Amino acid sequence: MVGIDPETDFTIGPWLRENLDRPLRDDEIIVGANAHIFLGKSESKPGDEEYFYGKKFTVVGVLDQTGIGLDDAGFVTIPAVYDMAKGSDNNAMRKLDIQPGEVSAFLVNVDADASRAEVAKRIELEVPGVAVVTSKELMSSSVARQLETLTPGLVYIGIGFWIIAVLLIGALFSMIVNERRRELGLLQAVGATRRYIFSLVMLEAVELTSIGGIVGLSVGAIVILAIKGVIASSMGIAYLWPGTAFIATFTVGFLLMAVITGVVAALYPALVASRLEPYQAIRTGE
Amino acid sequence: MIELKAATRTYQSGGSTISAVDSVSLAVAKGEFVAVVGHSGSGKTTLVSLMGGLTRPTAGKVLIDGIDIWELNNIELAQLRSEKIGFCFQFSSLMPTLDCMDNVRLPASFARGGRGDPGHAMELLETVGVPDKARAYPSELSGGQQRRVAIARALVNDPQIILADEPTGDLDESTEADIMELFEGLHRKGVTIIMVTHSRILASKAQRILTMNAGVVTEGAAD
Repeated sequence: MVGIDPETDFTIGPWLRENLDRPLRDDEIIVGANAHIFLGKSESKPGDEEYFYGKKFTVVGVLDQTGIGLDDAGFVTIPAVYDMAKGSDNNAMRKLDIQPGEVSAFLVNVDADASRAEVAKRIELEVPGVAVVTSKELMSSSVARQLETLTPGLVYIGIGFWIIAVLLIGALFSMIVNERRRELGLLQAVGATRRYIFSLVMLEAVELTSIGGIVGLSVGAIVILAIKGVIASSMGIAYLWPGTAFIATFTVGFLLMAVITGVVAALYPALVASRLEPYQAIRTGE
Repeated sequence: MIELKAATRTYQSGGSTISAVDSVSLAVAKGEFVAVVGHSGSGKTTLVSLMGGLTRPTAGKVLIDGIDIWELNNIELAQLRSEKIGFCFQFSSLMPTLDCMDNVRLPASFARGGRGDPGHAMELLETVGVPDKARAYPSELSGGQQRRVAIARALVNDPQIILADEPTGDLDESTEADIMELFEGLHRKGVTIIMVTHSRILASKAQRILTMNAGVVTEGAAD
């Protein structure tokens, strides 16, 4: 169990701010994804009541799988820990010996540009009696730095793939229009307007790219779900899902991009299809 | 009334210009049954396409009921095709992804006040003798059955004009006779019929014969 100060904590603080939307109360607990194993249950869910050292806590949140130690932990407020320790003498089978004001650790969030060793040295010099432990290599900050370097490159690669997709879908629809010349000519012969033919091709493209977008999103989500544990354990960083708002915005944006891709790609073939002369289209399609 | 005034349609082929229809002037009166005959490549199909607004004349004019159809905007021209004209092509012209019923109803979806109800489509399928094929797809039909469905489709909007390009080509004699009977029935109801054919026998059933040769039209059957 970990007592935290929700105001300043940077381990699960961001999760709390995004998901709980109110301060964590002293009788509430956030549990890690695997905490139910230690509680002897098949799962933990919000609303569950759990007793620790005789103190009752209500589960108000279950963290997603992170792949690291957070998965096994439970998080409560620091006053809740003192209260639990105080009551443990009478309420628990074993006394919890923590005195009010006593803390086991302060986590220091060092700026990305700062030297961890320098910060550790200064703390040791200026705060007597404190042992400073620096993490072997703060993966999170190094990964962030690597991602910062990689991101522009990934954006350019993404733009490149998008252009290739537009060209390929455009070529595909040019072929489709060419193959269907006779049908398109016949449609005009029985009364279809140019706008109708244009819309027909555009709708087909949008339908195709939308389905492609949905399939792409689904496959992406499945792959991430399958390998997130591997990423987390191999890199030693917590894997946390972005907030619902971000996922919703990303999903809508991605699908919108798929639709835009279809529109841009099929624009020229649709224009060509709508400008076909019916007689020529029917004859050349024979 | 369909009028062609010095209508010409040329094509570029291998660097040279070919006149498929060469300065043709003619008039077809309302309710007339006209047969267009001529050798392959003489320009018969192009002539009928000009009359139906399927191809734009390189020079000259095409008038239907006194209106120059190429002065119409795209929407008006599409309406004219769907509401006034019924096309029967010389090949299978059904939409492969639609069943016969929906093929027949298709032009009605483009026409203002088109009668696209299944009952009307079924009546037409009965008229052409294939009511049992309403839910069949074109690939499941014989050539003659496809041609009959195409005629039903051409009739769905009660057109004033039927433009038929070899409507009985490659069909057996019995089916040919049935289709001709259909056209004669339509003619009796006052529909203008312009039919391209190679057959002198079929042409003889028309009121008037036009002979095409190298893009030029002459009245009467050639010897």
